[in-house]
Amino acid sequence: MSDIRNSNPGGEDYEPQVSVSSTDAVGLAAGGSAAPQPGEDKSYSQGQLVARRFFRHRGALTAMIVLGIVIVVAFTSIGVGPIPGWWPKDYTLQYDKIGDGAPTWEYPFGQDTGGKDYFALVMRGTQFSLIIAFSVGIISTLVGTLIGALAGFYRGWVESVLMRMTDVFIVIPLLAVAAVLGRMAGGDGILGLALVLGLVTWTSLARLVRGEVLSLRERDFVLAARAVGTGAWRIITRHVLPNAVGVIIVSATLSISTAILLETSLSFLGFGVQPPDTSLGTLISEYQAAFATRPWLFWWPGLMILTIALCVNFIGDGLRDAFDPRQNRSKD
Amino acid sequence: MNGGSFYPVSYSDTLIAFPSRRRAASASKGQPVLKFILRRIGASALVLLGASFLMFILTVNSGDPLQDLRESNDPNRDQLMAERTERMRLDDSDWERYWDWLSGVGGCFTGSCDLGVTINGIDVLNLTQQAASSTLRLITLSTLLAIVVGVALGIMTAIRQYSGFDYAVTFSAFLFFSLPVFWAATLLKEYAAIQYNNWIAVGQYAPWTIVIAALLAGFLLQAVLGGSARRRLVTGAATFGFVAVLLFAFNALDWWRNPMFGIAGVLVVSAAAGVLVTALVAGLRNRRALYAALTTVVVGVIAYWFTAPLLVNEPSWLLLIGLFVVSLVVSVAIGAAWGGYARKDSMLVTGITGVITSIMVVADVLMAHWNSFLGVKSRPISTIGSQTPNFNGEFWERVLDMGTQILLPTILLTLVSVATHSRYTRSSMLETLNQDYVRTARSKGLSEREVIVKHAFRNALIPITTIVAFDFAALIGGAIITEQVFGWKGMGALFQDGLRAVDPAPVMAFFLVTGIAAVLMNLLADIAYAALDPRIRR
Amino acid sequence: MTTLDISSSGPVSATGDAVLSFEDLTVTFRTEFGDVHAVKGIDLEVRPGEVVALVGESGSGKSVTSMTALGLLPRNARVSGTIRVGDKVVGGLDGRGLRNMRGNDVAMVFQEPMTALNPVLTIGDQLTEGLQLHGIAFGKQAMARAAELLAMVGIPEPERRLKQYPHELSGGQRQRVVIAMAIACDPKVIIADEPTTALDVTVQADILDLLRSLKDKLDTGILLITHNMGVVADMADRVAVMLKGDIVETGTADQVLNHPRHDYTKRLLAAVPHLGSGPGQFGDVAPVVATPEDLPALDLGKLVIEYHRLGKPTFRAVDDVSLSVAQGEIVGLVGESGSGKSTIAKCALGLIPAASGSVSILGNDLTKMRGKELKALRRRIGVVFQDPASSLNPRLPVGDVIAEPLVVHKEGDDKSRRRRVLELLDAVELPRSAYNRYPHELSGGQRQRVSIARALTLDPELLVADEPTSALDVSVQANVLKMFTALQERYKFACLFVSHDLAVIDLLAHRVVVLQNGRIVEQGPRDEVLHHPREEYTQRLIAAAPVPEPLEQRRRREARHALLTQLGEDVAELHIDEDYERPEPKRDEGGNASGLGGLGAGGL
Repeated sequence: MSDIRNSNPGGEDYEPQVSVSSTDAVGLAAGGSAAPQPGEDKSYSQGQLVARRFFRHRGALTAMIVLGIVIVVAFTSIGVGPIPGWWPKDYTLQYDKIGDGAPTWEYPFGQDTGGKDYFALVMRGTQFSLIIAFSVGIISTLVGTLIGALAGFYRGWVESVLMRMTDVFIVIPLLAVAAVLGRMAGGDGILGLALVLGLVTWTSLARLVRGEVLSLRERDFVLAARAVGTGAWRIITRHVLPNAVGVIIVSATLSISTAILLETSLSFLGFGVQPPDTSLGTLISEYQAAFATRPWLFWWPGLMILTIALCVNFIGDGLRDAFDPRQNRSKD
Repeated sequence: MNGGSFYPVSYSDTLIAFPSRRRAASASKGQPVLKFILRRIGASALVLLGASFLMFILTVNSGDPLQDLRESNDPNRDQLMAERTERMRLDDSDWERYWDWLSGVGGCFTGSCDLGVTINGIDVLNLTQQAASSTLRLITLSTLLAIVVGVALGIMTAIRQYSGFDYAVTFSAFLFFSLPVFWAATLLKEYAAIQYNNWIAVGQYAPWTIVIAALLAGFLLQAVLGGSARRRLVTGAATFGFVAVLLFAFNALDWWRNPMFGIAGVLVVSAAAGVLVTALVAGLRNRRALYAALTTVVVGVIAYWFTAPLLVNEPSWLLLIGLFVVSLVVSVAIGAAWGGYARKDSMLVTGITGVITSIMVVADVLMAHWNSFLGVKSRPISTIGSQTPNFNGEFWERVLDMGTQILLPTILLTLVSVATHSRYTRSSMLETLNQDYVRTARSKGLSEREVIVKHAFRNALIPITTIVAFDFAALIGGAIITEQVFGWKGMGALFQDGLRAVDPAPVMAFFLVTGIAAVLMNLLADIAYAALDPRIRR
Repeated sequence: MTTLDISSSGPVSATGDAVLSFEDLTVTFRTEFGDVHAVKGIDLEVRPGEVVALVGESGSGKSVTSMTALGLLPRNARVSGTIRVGDKVVGGLDGRGLRNMRGNDVAMVFQEPMTALNPVLTIGDQLTEGLQLHGIAFGKQAMARAAELLAMVGIPEPERRLKQYPHELSGGQRQRVVIAMAIACDPKVIIADEPTTALDVTVQADILDLLRSLKDKLDTGILLITHNMGVVADMADRVAVMLKGDIVETGTADQVLNHPRHDYTKRLLAAVPHLGSGPGQFGDVAPVVATPEDLPALDLGKLVIEYHRLGKPTFRAVDDVSLSVAQGEIVGLVGESGSGKSTIAKCALGLIPAASGSVSILGNDLTKMRGKELKALRRRIGVVFQDPASSLNPRLPVGDVIAEPLVVHKEGDDKSRRRRVLELLDAVELPRSAYNRYPHELSGGQRQRVSIARALTLDPELLVADEPTSALDVSVQANVLKMFTALQERYKFACLFVSHDLAVIDLLAHRVVVLQNGRIVEQGPRDEVLHHPREEYTQRLIAAAPVPEPLEQRRRREARHALLTQLGEDVAELHIDEDYERPEPKRDEGGNASGLGGLGAGGL
C-alpha cells in the first residue's frame, strides 16, 4: 500500500458530499449493501452543527471563557448600583497611599495619584465600557438588520432611498460623526451615548444584510412562499432573516468590538463618557502622562480594552467559521 | 459608496463578505465604463451633499460656541460675544449658515474657494491646505506599506493555511484590530522612541540581546518557509548563525551609529531582490527574465556610481524624481530588450527590480548621512510633531528628520491596516483557490507558484482593490487619534479643535477632505475593478 | 462486494498496454464526522483509442476516482493502491513529476465550462500556458499552435477568439476550448468528468461527436465519467458501473446496457426514461377528462415578458406566446436554456410581471389582480421548483414547510393542519417521522417529495412544475415521476411541466409545447410533436437526445448526421490536416512564460 501524496498545498480542505442520511427512503440506493456512512445514524439540527463547530474552535472557546470571567468579575466585584459587590474597597474613596501606589496584595492594580483603589476604578470603567459596547451592538444590529432587510427585499425606490441614506452615514468618518454626536449626548449619561453610537454604527451591517437578503430573495423557497401568497412581512421574518442569521450574529459580535474601541477612543478624546462617569478610555486619557512614573495606571485599562476587544473578535471568528461550512477544518 | 469609517468597521466587512463585488458586477455589466463612472460621480456628489448637510447641522447643534466667553470675566465680554455672533452668523438660522458655507465651497468650481473662517477669524482654506498635506503624507505612506505587507502576508497565510505561521499571523491580526490606538501609541512612544534614543547614544547591543534576536529571526523564517522538520531545522540554524554574526559585526563596526552599505551592499541586496522578484513573478526557469533583472541591477549600480556626486550634495526633489523616472524607464526597457516571447513578464520583473534598486541607492545615501544627522539631533526618533522645530541641516539630514518624525505614526497606522489587508487577502485567496479554474490550472501541470500568482492571485486582487480603497478613506478618520497622540497639526487637530469650540468651518473642512478622499478612492476602486475584471470591461 | 467482470478481455491486471489503470484503488477522506470511504478498492483500465464510461449516481465516488489519476485530491484524502498513467506510477512521482505528467500524459475535461476557465485571462493565454510549460511551443509559435487547436475543435475565427475572454464565448464554445486545452499536449488519456452535463442537448451531441472523433483520430484513451445512460450508449466501448465506492459491474457497452447482470445495473437501467417509448414507463397517465367547454386551468394569450436591464436594451425573454392547459391535463413545456420556459412558468405563478398579454387561471386574469383577490387565486396554484437544495427553507422542519400554505391562508387549526401534513407525507411516500426533520437531513429525492407535498397542500387545480426532476439521480427521478403520475391520477390537477428532458416529457405529457428563443416553435399532442415533428428545430432537438441503447443510439446518431447534412451543416469533429505533426517537447528556449505579465496589460 503506497500512500499518494497529493500536491495540493494551497487547496482548502473540502469535504466530499456527505449528506447526513444519504439514502433516499424508497430510492434504489437503499438496496446497496455498502458499509454505513459515518454520521448516518446521528442527525444534527443546524443549530447543533453550528454549536459543534464553534466549540471546536479553540481560540473562540478560550475567548468566550475569558470574556465571561471579565464580565462576571467586572459586575460582581464592585457591584451594580445599589447591590454591593465582594470587593471591599470603594472606587470613590481615597485611601492612604502605600509607597508610590504601585500594585500590592492589598491594591492589586495599585492606587492612583489621589490614593483611590485602581482595581475598583478599572472595574467601574470596564462596567461602563461593557454596557456601552453591548448596547451599541444591540442597537446597531437591530437598525442595520431592519434597514438592510427592507432595502434588500423591496428593491426599487425603497432600496435606493435606504442605501443612499446608508451612504450618507458611511461617507462621514465614523469617529467624526460619533464625536459630534457624543459631544451632543455626553451629558445624557452612558445610555444616551450608547444610543447615539448605535445610531451611527449600523451601516456596514445594513449593507451586509442587504447583500444577503438580495441573494436569499431569489432562492426557490422564497419564490415558493411568494407563489403561495405569503405576505411580505412573513416572508422577511420567517424565510429570509432566519437564513441570514449567520451574517447577522457574526456582524453583531464584531460591532461590539467596534463599539468598545469607538467608545474608548471617544472618551480618550474627551467626546465620550463625561465625568463623573468613567470608562476605560477616560482612565487612559487621564493617566497617560503618568506612564513614565506610574505605568500601572496606564497598563491596566489598556490591557482591559485589548482583552475585551480581542475576545470579541475571536468569538466572531469562531462564529463565522461555525456558520460558514466552507471554512470547515477537517484536521483537528 | 463605502469608506470613511473608523477602522474596525471596515474590518467587519472584510470578515464576512466582499462588500461590493456583487454591486460593481451587477450595476455595470456591459455598460461603457465612462458612463458608469459618470453615474457614480453623480450619485456620490448627492451623497456628499446630504452628508455635508447632516454634518453641519449636527456640528452647530453640538454645543454653545459662546460658552468660553459666557464664563469669562473679561470686561469687554459683551463686545467679544457680539463680535463672534456677527462673525459666525449665530443669529441666522442653521439653514442660512449651511447655505452660506455651501456657496463658499461652490466657489471652488469657479476658482474662488471660500471655506469660511474659524471662530477666531482665521481663514480655514489656508489651515486646511497645511493640515491636509501633512495628513495625506502620513496616510499615503502607511497605505502603501500596508498594501505591500498586508497582501504579502495574506497570500502566505492562505497558502500555509492552518500552519503555525498562519495561526501566528491570524493572532497578530486580531491583536492589532483589538488594539486601542491611543494606548498603543503611548507604548510605541516609550519603547520605540525614548528607549531607542537612549540606546542609540551608545549604539551597542548586549550579547544576550543578539542571541535572542537571532533566535527569533531563525524561528520566524523557518515558520514562514516551512517544509520538513529537517529543512526547518536547517533554515532556522542558518538564519540564527547569520543574524548573530551580522549583529556582532555591527557592534564591532559601531554600525548603528555609523551605518554603511556601500556600492557593494547595494549590488548584493538588489541582486538578491532581483532573483527573488524573478522567482515570484516569472519563475527562475525563465532565464531571460533572470538575466534581465540582474542586468537592471548592474546598470543601476553603475548609474549610482556616476550620479553619486549629484545625489550626495544638496539635490533637489525634482532631480530625485527625475532620476527615479529615468531609472524606471531604463529598467523596463532592459526587460523589453531581454524578454523574448515572455516580454511582459520580463518588463514587470525589471520594473520592480529597478524600483528596489533605486530604493537601495537612496537607503545608501541616507545611511551615509546618519552619523552627521545624529550630530545635529542626538535623540533621533521624535514623539511629537511632524517636523523638528528650527531644524537646520543639509538636504539629506532634513529628509532623515522628516523620516524619523513620521516613523512612529506610520508604524501605528500601518499595523492596523496590515491586519485588515492580510485577513482580507487571505480569505479572498482561499476563495479563489477553491475555484474550478484553479483546479483546471493544476490539471494542466502548472506549478504552485504559477497557479497562485497567475490564476488565483489575479482573481483575488479584484475584491482586494475595493477594501484597499475604502481603507484609505477610513484611515483618515483613524488618523484623528494618531495625530492627537503624536501632536501632528493635521486634519485631526483641525476637526477636534473645531468641534470643541462648536466651530463648523474647520469641522466641515475636515469633512470635505475626508469625504472627497472617500469618493475619489471609491472611483479609483471602480476603475481598478474594471481594469482587473474583463467581465466588467467589455 | 464482488465484481461481475463479464468483459471478454480476461482479468484486468493482465494488460500491459493500458494508458490508464487503477489497481485496488482506495480513497478515504477524513472529515468532521470521521472517515468516509469514497472509493473502496476498485480495478479499472483504459486502453488507447478506447472510451471507458464510469457510470454511477452522485456520491458513488466516480469523480474522486478520476481525480486520483492527476493526484489532485484535497489534503484530507488518503489514497492507496496503484495508479498508472502510461508507464508512470502516480504514487511514486514527486511534485515535479506529477506536474510533468498532468496535461502531458493525462488531461482533464471538466463538467462546468462556465467556471473551468479563468475569467480574467484570455483564451490564448490559457491555451498557450500549457504548451509553453510542457515545452511544446513558445511565443508566437505557441499562439499559432493555439489557433490551430481551436480550429481543430471547430471554433470559427480562432485568431480572434484567442484574444477574447471566456465570458465572451457561449457554453458550448467554452467546452470546446476546454477540450482544446486538454488535447494541447497530446495526452495519452483524457478524463472527461461529466463533460456534457451542463450543456443543452444539441450542444451535447456536438461535443460527444467531437470527443468521439478525437479518440478515433488521435488514438487517445478516454475515461468518461457520467450519470447519463444515453451518453454512455452513445460513446462508450466499455462500461464500469460504480455504486458507493465499488465497481459492481464491468463489460462492453452492449453487455452492460443490454444484458445487465448486477441488480443495481438492472434497476438503474430500468429507471432511465426512454425517449420514444411514450407513457406508461413509470405508471399510467390518466386521460384528460375535461371537455372543451370547461374553463382551461391555465391560458396564456399573446404573452410577452421583458427584462429591463440598466444601460442595456430591454431583453424580450418571452415573445407572443399563447398556450393553454386544460383541467386535468399535463402540458410539457420543452426548450433549451434561454428559451424562456422557466420565465413562462414564473409568470404563470405571478412571480414576474407580463409586459403584455394575459395569464388566465381558470378564467381569472392574474395580471389584473391585486391584494386579496390575487392571494385567493394563488391558493389554486401549486409549484415545484428544480433545485431540491434551495426550494426548501433550511430553517423550517418538514412539517412546517408543508403546513405553511395552510397557515398563510389561515385554514384549519393546528390539529387539522397536522392531519393534512401526515396525509400528504403518506401520499408522497415519505415516512411520517419526516415531520420533524430538517431539509438538510433529507436526500435530494426526499426533499423533492416534500416540495411536491407542499405544492399539493391546498389541493390546487393547477400545478406548475419547473424542471422538478432535473437535479435528481435517475433512480430517484424514476421514483419521483412514478409518484407524480400516481398523484396526478388521484388529485386530477392540471400541470404545466417544464423540462429540457424530452424523454421525461414523452412519458408524462398529454400535449407538448416546444420553445426556442422565447417563441413557440411547435405545439400539439405528445405523439405528434415528439414522434412526428414537423418543424426543423423540433427534429434537431429530438435527433440530438441520446437513448440508453447502443445500437439504437448508433442508428439515431447516423440519422442525426444525415439530418445535419441534409440541412447543410457540418457534423462536429476534430479537424486534422494531412501534415499534422504530433507535438513533441522541445528545448526550453526562454523558460516558461507564465507570470503576472498580463496584470497591468488589460487597461480599460
